[in-house]
Amino acid sequence: MKMNLSANLFGFDDVDTAGQKLFRNIFELFVVVATAYLAWTWGQYTLRISDIVLPLGFARYIDISFMHGNLLPLWNAGLITALVVAGFFRFGRWPYAVAWVLLLFQYAARFSLGEIPHSANLVGMGLLGYALAELFYPDRESRSKFGLGFTYFFIGLGYTFAAWSKLIASGITWSDGRHLWMWINEKAVDEIARSGMVELNYIQELALSSLMVATIFLTFGLVAEFFAWLVWFKKWRYPVMWAILALHIGIWVTMDILFKLSVIELILLSLPWGALFDRFLVGKTSAAPA
Amino acid sequence: MKGKTLTNKARTIISTVLVVYAFTVAVNLGEFWPFSIYPMFSQGGNPWSRALVREIPEGEQISWDRTDLDNLPGIPYGVSSNGVDAIDLANFVSKTETWNTTRVRALSFMLLSGVEDARKLQVFRVQANLDDADNVVIRATPYLIVSNDSNFVNPGIQP
Repeated sequence: MKMNLSANLFGFDDVDTAGQKLFRNIFELFVVVATAYLAWTWGQYTLRISDIVLPLGFARYIDISFMHGNLLPLWNAGLITALVVAGFFRFGRWPYAVAWVLLLFQYAARFSLGEIPHSANLVGMGLLGYALAELFYPDRESRSKFGLGFTYFFIGLGYTFAAWSKLIASGITWSDGRHLWMWINEKAVDEIARSGMVELNYIQELALSSLMVATIFLTFGLVAEFFAWLVWFKKWRYPVMWAILALHIGIWVTMDILFKLSVIELILLSLPWGALFDRFLVGKTSAAPA
Repeated sequence: MKGKTLTNKARTIISTVLVVYAFTVAVNLGEFWPFSIYPMFSQGGNPWSRALVREIPEGEQISWDRTDLDNLPGIPYGVSSNGVDAIDLANFVSKTETWNTTRVRALSFMLLSGVEDARKLQVFRVQANLDDADNVVIRATPYLIVSNDSNFVNPGIQP
C-alpha cells in the first residue's frame, strides 16, 4: 500500500483524465446543490421557531434570535444559493467561503430547539474544503483535487471519531445488543410522534428477538467506524466506503434514521466513477484511479 | 515540483483546520457545526427521553396520569402532518426545565402554526430504561395541553 497520505488524498501529480475531471465536477456540483438544499430547508423550518431551547454553534456566542420571527432565514438561503452558484462558476475566490459562514448562521438559527443533528456535517465539511481550495489554490484542477481530498480526509476522521466516542463513553461493551433494543424502542417512539403510529419491520423484530443478532449489528457498525480512516488510502477507499454505506443502511433499517445527503455523498465516493466515465463515456481506460 | 508545493500547502491547510477543529469542539462540548466529535449513540444502555402528541377529542376528560404506550388517551396524532420534526419536539420537551409562559407559547406555536381548526393536543414526555430483567420499560407522562385558544401545563411538573 502506498503510504504517502497526501498523494493518496489529493494526487496532485496524478495524470488527470476527462473522466476524473467530470467526476470531480459532479461531486463539487453535489456539494453546491446540497448546500442550497440545506439552506432552504433550514430556512423554511426556522420560520416556525420563536424561542431558543439550546443554543448551538455561533448561537453560543451571539443571540441568534434576530433570525427568528422574520424572513431573514429565507433571504439568507437565497444569498447562500447565489454564492455557491457563483463559486461553482468561479466568479471570484470568496463566494464559497462567505456561503460557508452564512450557512453556520443558518444552522444555528434552525437547530436551536435542542436537537444536535449530524446529518449535514459531511456537506458542511465538503463546502469548507472547496472554500479553502478557492482561497489558497491557483488553478481549477488543483482546487478541485484539494476539495475532494479534503472531503476524503474528514470523512475518515469523522467516522473514526464516532467509534472513539463510543469506546470512550461506553467501552467495548458498547456493542451489547441490549443497547440496540433501547435505541429501536426510542426510534419507534419518534415514529409514533412523527406519524401517529409505528410498525416494526422484520429486521427490527429480528434484532429485538435475538441478543446475538442485535450484538452482531452493533459490532459491525463499531468496526466499520473504527477503520473508517482507511478511506484516506486509495487501496482501501472503496471497500471501506461500502462498509460505511452498509453501516448507514443498517442504521436505516434498525432505527429508521436515514441521512440522505450523507448517503448520496458516500455513494458518489464509493465507486471509481472517474475510471467508469473514461471507459464508458470517453471510451478509454483511465490512467489514474479515482 | 509543482505537485510538491501543492501538497505542502494541503498539509498546512489541513493541519490548521485540525487545530481549529480541536479547539472549537474542545470549548463547545464536542459540537461546533460542522466540526464534531460525533458522540451520537455513544452512551449505550442509558435511559432515554422522547416525546409524542395525542389529539384529545372534544368532550374527552383530561388526565395528567402517567401511563404506558398502550393506554394513551385520545387518538393518534403525527406531528409531521403539520411539518414539525419529531426530534425537535422530543428535545424541546426533554430539555425544557421550566415551563414558563414563553416556553409554552413557543411549543404551541411550533405545533399549531398554520392549524386553523379547534384542535386540542396533549404532549407527552416518554421515558424508558432497561430493567433488571432486560426489558425496555417505557412510560409516558402528560406535560401539556395546547390548543389555539388556551394552553395548560401538568400541575405535577410545574416548579
